[in-house]
Amino acid sequence: MAAKTSASFVDPFIRIAVSLFEDVSRQTIALLGILLASLLIVPWLVNDYLLTVLIVVLYFAFTGQAWNIMMGFAGQLSLGHAIYVGLGAYIAAVLFARFGIAPWIGFLAVIPVAAACGATIGFLAFRFRVAGVYFAILTIAFAEFARIGFDHLDYVNASAGLFLPVAQYARNDLWHLRGNPTMFYYVILAAAAFAFVVCRALLKSRIGYFWLAIREDEQAARAAGIDTFRYKMAAVMISAVITSFAGVFYAFFYNNLFPEQVFNISRSIEIILGPIIGGIGTLFGPILGAFVLTGLAELLNAAMAAIGFDLPGAKQVFYGICLLLVVVALPEGVWPWLARRIGVSESRQ
Amino acid sequence: MPRRINITRRRLLAGAAATGLAAPSIVRAQGTGARAPLKVGVLLPRSGFEASIGQDCQRGVDIAPAILRSLGLPELTVMNADTESNVDVARQRAEKLINDGAQLLIGAFDSGQTTAIAQVAEQKGIPLVINIAAAPDITEQGYKFVFRNFPTAPMILGDAFENQMELFRIIGSAPKSVVFMHVNDTFGTAMAKGINAVMPKFNVPYKIVDEIAYDPTARDLSVEVAKAKGSNADALLLVSRLNDAMLITRELVKQRWTPQAILSMGPGWYEDQYLKTLGKLSDGPISFVPFEDPNKKLAKSLQAALAKAYPGLNLSTNHVYTFEALLIAADAYKRAGTSDPKGLADAIRTTNITDNVSIGPGIQFNAKGQNDKLKNGAIQNRGGKLATLAPKAAANAKPEWPMGSYANRT
Repeated sequence: MAAKTSASFVDPFIRIAVSLFEDVSRQTIALLGILLASLLIVPWLVNDYLLTVLIVVLYFAFTGQAWNIMMGFAGQLSLGHAIYVGLGAYIAAVLFARFGIAPWIGFLAVIPVAAACGATIGFLAFRFRVAGVYFAILTIAFAEFARIGFDHLDYVNASAGLFLPVAQYARNDLWHLRGNPTMFYYVILAAAAFAFVVCRALLKSRIGYFWLAIREDEQAARAAGIDTFRYKMAAVMISAVITSFAGVFYAFFYNNLFPEQVFNISRSIEIILGPIIGGIGTLFGPILGAFVLTGLAELLNAAMAAIGFDLPGAKQVFYGICLLLVVVALPEGVWPWLARRIGVSESRQ
Repeated sequence: MPRRINITRRRLLAGAAATGLAAPSIVRAQGTGARAPLKVGVLLPRSGFEASIGQDCQRGVDIAPAILRSLGLPELTVMNADTESNVDVARQRAEKLINDGAQLLIGAFDSGQTTAIAQVAEQKGIPLVINIAAAPDITEQGYKFVFRNFPTAPMILGDAFENQMELFRIIGSAPKSVVFMHVNDTFGTAMAKGINAVMPKFNVPYKIVDEIAYDPTARDLSVEVAKAKGSNADALLLVSRLNDAMLITRELVKQRWTPQAILSMGPGWYEDQYLKTLGKLSDGPISFVPFEDPNKKLAKSLQAALAKAYPGLNLSTNHVYTFEALLIAADAYKRAGTSDPKGLADAIRTTNITDNVSIGPGIQFNAKGQNDKLKNGAIQNRGGKLATLAPKAAANAKPEWPMGSYANRT
């Protein structure tokens, strides 16, 4: 009887897991397996510097994946995703610093706040038909509003910054997210993998198809009977909640929060660069984009150091030129092009 | 079978001559510790939105080696890294420097970036000497490898009012009313809050008759200046940045208002670009900032080195404190006699440098790693140069009070 009950509990998960891969080629599954296995053993192979670089890569892969839900799947351009990072960071950090509440519990408090924030932006935009570039401006406005608000919020130390206590940790404390870079690496790797699976599941679900229909032609989708308001709201809220976890991670990894930095528009731009370079609307795009962007930056640093070229700002110029070339040569992003070259099925949905 | 060495008269003479030639360098090397240079990783925001300040700090690094050598301090191998004004990059660069062999870190001007670096330094057990960063919390974390030779924000504010009071005592009068103009960005708002909170403790003789906040990116401040002028206040109290400081000055000239004094509690008014762009119009404002003590011997050496390397540049806060961070590193290395990070950290903790550049009794660190003995200065623009008016021990000029009318400067 008990065995039957547990089997019936597990069955839906197995069905979901199987459905996730049912139309995926063996080649793709093999590629995924190799990627995951490589990422799992990386901490044993690289030094702390490279591990920190990989943490940043996975952080942007994760946030890029979350942003992709809104833009890549549902076609809603957000240029203010830093607001969700900031909210997640501040709420979890305050709960930990003031009340000793673990970040995992703190994230439970972050979820409704991020969802409500996303819902507010979404409601204002979709209810009053604010679309396209005007929607993007609205998202920027909210992020700026949050930045200025937190700059004056004494409870979180306003512009003087909120600091989490730091020390040398003899052991990793996963529950309180206090530990060395290896621990943070596995946390963000798990988060990125989770975001990937969630996005895949969403894309293959009924809601995913509705999003794609809305993205391609909203009027046609409405005419076909899709409640576009409802599904766009869902996209904003899901994207907001997932992004807010990146904030929790950010707060506990860096241990200091300044509104000027966390909510800054440059943060929002950093989030969207990965999917744009990797391929908007694809699942691998944000991951590949994050690797390309951070990898390119580090390669340029190494190349300049190797030739003894130490001119401030030169790296950014080369970086900009490289990105320009990628955008011009591969307007769909790197992943769709690469997928065709290696014979993998996934392209923009 | 052991090889037999034939000692001839010629060989003996050659050996003696070689020993004679090498002896001074051996003695010199022993004097400076006779060890490999200390590898110092310097992290500064040399690109990005803080680039101009980061590059200014870098000048302090570039002129340091010759001065440190002249003080008999051991050689340092400087490993530069650009934080790109970004917290993520700052952390990555710190990891990279340590990975590449840096035995001590210096940086990084910005509090957020400095905190990210401090964590890496603490986790790796590599000493970090902060050149500039004012957030008090950095040295309240219980770090064992983090040291700061720069005043915290509360220290800066407190000293600013102390120096004002000293100035008023020197000149025998004081403004009765001021208009407080400040930028409405993060820095300006924080400073405004701090000023309003700290001012009552100092029993200042003036009243703030109006507070005018403005956008630091504004292209026109004529309305704000007209409003300030209309208040009939004796003086202007300001928290500005560079561009708005120049805009306000031009408006003061246009609107024919020369207040009794311009008292600045932030950047802008004493910066080189302000002095060079405005020429004679730049004379008069008094800034209350962490600064050099021009009467100290080492300050004179630093000024001379800067003038030689970068003619026409005035010594700035950025040069002074970045240089002192390197001074602390070299001094600790000399006393520690080792590049072992723990030994270096212990040596830094017991630092006692009285022959330094900045205002105050010297460089010592308290149990938290903060130099709490630092003092700020009151400096006045004079003919494109900066004169130190207060505190008394560091003063090299008497205040020009009231400031000369803008009308007579053409």
